[in-house]
Amino acid sequence: MVFDEEFDVVVIGGGHAGCEAASAAGRLGARTALVTLNLDLIGQMSCNPAIGGIAKGHLVREIDALGGIMGRVADRTGIQFRLLNRSRGPAVQSPRAQTDRARYRTEMRRTLEDTDNLELRQGMVSDLVVHHGKVSGVLLQDGRRIAARAVVVATGTFLNGLIHTGQHTYTAGRAGEPASIELAASLKRLGFPVGRLKTGTPPRLDGRTINWGAFQVQEGDERPVPFSFSTETIEQPQMRCYVGYTTSSVHNAIRQNLGESPLYSGQIKGVGPRYCPSIEDKVVKFADKDRHQLFLEPEGHDTNEVYLNGFSTSLPAPLQQDLVRMVPGLEQATIIRPGYAIEYDFVDPRELGADLQCRRVAGLFHAGQINGTTGYEEAACQGLIAGINAAALVTGRKAIRLGREESYIGVLVDDLVTHGVDEPYRIFTSRAEYRLSLRHDNADERLTGYGRGLGLVSDTGWERFLGRQGRIIKAKNILKSNRLRRSDPSYVAAASMTSTALGDSISLSDLARRPGISMDMIYQLLPQHLGLSQSDVESALADNLYAGYISAQASAIGRLQRNDQLRIPGNINYRDLDGLSSEMIERLERARPVTIGEAKALSGLTPAAVNTLYIASVQS
Amino acid sequence: MDTIVAVATPPGRSAIGVIRLSGPLALGIMRALVSDQNFTPEPNRSYVKKIRRGSGDDLDQVLVNYFQQPHSFTGEDMVEISCHGSPLILRHVLDLTLSRDARLAGPGEFTLRACQNGKLNLSQAEAIRDLINAQTDAAAAQAARQLNGELSRALQPAKEVLIEVIAKLESALEFVEDDLPTLELEEINKQLAEVLANIRYLVGTYSVGHLLRDGLRVVIVGRPNVGKSSLFNGLLRSERAIVTEIAGTTRDSITESISIKGVPIILTDTAGIRRAGDKIEAIGVERAHQAMADADLLVVVIDGSVGLLADDVSVLFQAKERTHVVAINKSDLRRAPGLDDQVAGLSRVVRTSAVTAEGLKDLSAAILAPFGEVDSVNEGLLITDSRHHDLLRRTQLELEASISALDERASEEIVLVGLLNGLRYLGEITGETTPDDILSKIFSTFCIGK
Repeated sequence: MVFDEEFDVVVIGGGHAGCEAASAAGRLGARTALVTLNLDLIGQMSCNPAIGGIAKGHLVREIDALGGIMGRVADRTGIQFRLLNRSRGPAVQSPRAQTDRARYRTEMRRTLEDTDNLELRQGMVSDLVVHHGKVSGVLLQDGRRIAARAVVVATGTFLNGLIHTGQHTYTAGRAGEPASIELAASLKRLGFPVGRLKTGTPPRLDGRTINWGAFQVQEGDERPVPFSFSTETIEQPQMRCYVGYTTSSVHNAIRQNLGESPLYSGQIKGVGPRYCPSIEDKVVKFADKDRHQLFLEPEGHDTNEVYLNGFSTSLPAPLQQDLVRMVPGLEQATIIRPGYAIEYDFVDPRELGADLQCRRVAGLFHAGQINGTTGYEEAACQGLIAGINAAALVTGRKAIRLGREESYIGVLVDDLVTHGVDEPYRIFTSRAEYRLSLRHDNADERLTGYGRGLGLVSDTGWERFLGRQGRIIKAKNILKSNRLRRSDPSYVAAASMTSTALGDSISLSDLARRPGISMDMIYQLLPQHLGLSQSDVESALADNLYAGYISAQASAIGRLQRNDQLRIPGNINYRDLDGLSSEMIERLERARPVTIGEAKALSGLTPAAVNTLYIASVQS
Repeated sequence: MDTIVAVATPPGRSAIGVIRLSGPLALGIMRALVSDQNFTPEPNRSYVKKIRRGSGDDLDQVLVNYFQQPHSFTGEDMVEISCHGSPLILRHVLDLTLSRDARLAGPGEFTLRACQNGKLNLSQAEAIRDLINAQTDAAAAQAARQLNGELSRALQPAKEVLIEVIAKLESALEFVEDDLPTLELEEINKQLAEVLANIRYLVGTYSVGHLLRDGLRVVIVGRPNVGKSSLFNGLLRSERAIVTEIAGTTRDSITESISIKGVPIILTDTAGIRRAGDKIEAIGVERAHQAMADADLLVVVIDGSVGLLADDVSVLFQAKERTHVVAINKSDLRRAPGLDDQVAGLSRVVRTSAVTAEGLKDLSAAILAPFGEVDSVNEGLLITDSRHHDLLRRTQLELEASISALDERASEEIVLVGLLNGLRYLGEITGETTPDDILSKIFSTFCIGK
């Protein structure tokens, strides 16, 4: 085939996965094209205007530590920063920020345009060119043909997207944008197993029509914790959010109109996320709750638009308007964009290796919602891994695979490629068995070495990293050697914070472990002018706090995983193994488990068959 | 890789019993057992050493061999300890290694490690695979028949409460922005206490449960002519005798097996203990002392028609620190004056008559009484398997750690460490609980999501 243009890597889609993939591939020296339906909507936040949250914030920090871009863009465009779980331990604290939707897009596009080796193309990909099990390019709807040695598919909700509001349905990738029908068909032709998922979004309101006084104000943190290790301070002006509640009359009205909901009429077939239910679901499944929380989130500095978080719905648009007006404080409110539900195709992520490359088609990578995930952060981290590995493939370098014990990214990818999904997959801290070791503040310690090795971390970034690690070590030593004595003026204040006795003297690192003692207190007790930031001290203390628990955690998990991680040789011929019944051989050939753990998880496989596999794997 | 341990010789009494350790801690554990941190044995050489109990008393004189990796059966550092073959001693030594972070090996696990480390070739491995399969199937059959299903079912309620508590704590961590009910720490404390009591109870049943497998060693002692042998015969007659005379008994020490309420009892009659008159009697007394040392329980027999003599007091003194029952025998005769006052301070006293069989049932009951609820042998569930016992004990420790973290108001993620570990250990008996199971519990309990 004759191509109009040639690239090393083509990334399909300019959402959060596509942006990270394209940026990483370009910076790693691969000639890269990002093909997107609309250049003006690069980095669009399709749902709520916020980045981060519990575990999601960890992902953004990890993306940043590896050399990704999401954290830096969010830091420059965030309008309200909050570190969640401040009252809890450092491992489960996580940064979150409301972001300015329009400025985030602009900043993201600017970042991509400044990236070496990266070119942007507007257009719709209609087909993948595959020869002998290997991808060689993409075809565009307008007839352009682009050659590529690796392709990253990051198409979000666009594959066969179908929007529902009430009885009305229409094909779309997002409200106002066309769906990707031909590419979906192309993936099916290649034999990929495709499923259907659903997600939803709430109505957006005209801010001028809201009675703000009826809502509770929610301020951001006084001292914002940025996402990126490279961000010193947040400069842009900050905004407020507001919290309110639905009432039982709203709930009654929804119940009376459930017949109008495509969710309950059977019109929607796809599976939605249980942790992001529509207001219809909330009212039906938790009928005894007399109110549900709502957040009014500003969309940005340059607009009056307000995002009504907590009110995701696919009821008919006129009914949405009536319901919104029943909420105290929204009596006069006008909807400027109605909420909707969207169904879309996803491809079973068990088709992928841990490098996110498809086993079925060499050089083809899938990242983001196409793999059944939900969330910008989940998408972005997959985009980063896929982009890195697409570039690695074309430049002859080794692929990167992150482990569960070293990163949330590793947990997410492993969950996807091992277990697949049966509802949109979101990251949670409880998915990480090594939760105490995977803190947002030590993402750099865990991953910046990889980023540097790959070439995604600049000299400046590397020096910053080394400086911080040095200061943390220094802080640890100082915390160990400095003691608080009964004679010190601060002793009484410290003793009054905790219920435990402090004795005649106690080292600051031991003091920090006492319940009730705040980080601020420890920071104040340190000698001044050491050049240590509060965040350096906090990281040093966090390592200290969890030391004992981390080993207890590891020993219990180690028991289980000892054998499970053993890899079964990829070229194994089950028929050569003695003692496997034909039924077992058939099951194994269908599933081709990669590890003993996966084999054990297969239904219908006998313990004897697992043992046989085990011996064969050990032998190789 | 952790360090595994197992008794390598068949269960029951034998001349020697071998305990094998494999893994990085093997040498360190051996050093701790022989109380010699500097002990640096030459590989493949035997050394005579003493093992002490936690209390510092000598437990056994043993032969130890150290095999340095990779030159061992498993290819790892290995230690073999040849003890004297009393099941009691082997159990003690095993317990000492477990308390130093060794883990009881699963069936065939030493062989699996040998395979893993390339110590066995393909044909050897295949032969051993068959062996492992046989063991697994046998274990599975046995489990299905008597224990695994039942134990798993018995643990289910505790596991469900545990998952409920975990779901509450996890949702408090994960969904801070949601409008969730505040954590009721008292309620959580109550739920955990309930689970812990359940697990503790099961752990406690092992003291009876392992008797079902290993049998209870009961030794009848006392000065001469108090009626030990007639009592011994009386117990044999009134209870079901399973096996007659065990080979190797001597003229002055005789052992029979009986069953009391389904618990196998290895009953030993000994020579009367007194300051020895001649050499042969001295050997008999020495043997009686040996039998006493091995016993799980002593029955001290006193002649109720004579009252306490100096030799009785001496035997009672020797039995004082051991689990024992006092049988005031010959209740068919007139009771010695003042006897009631003399025995008033003794616990677990039973009046018996080997002639009229009076009190023999009471004696049987008294023998089992110190080992817990023996009636549960027939009714309730007992932990008989040392692996299950090990897992439940670990679960118990993890839950205790979490409860004290909760009491100290530690952050939820710290409290959860022990709860999740406990759930993992339980999962090795009942089947794994995945993070998705816990998330499902959360989503069905709380309204989550902006």
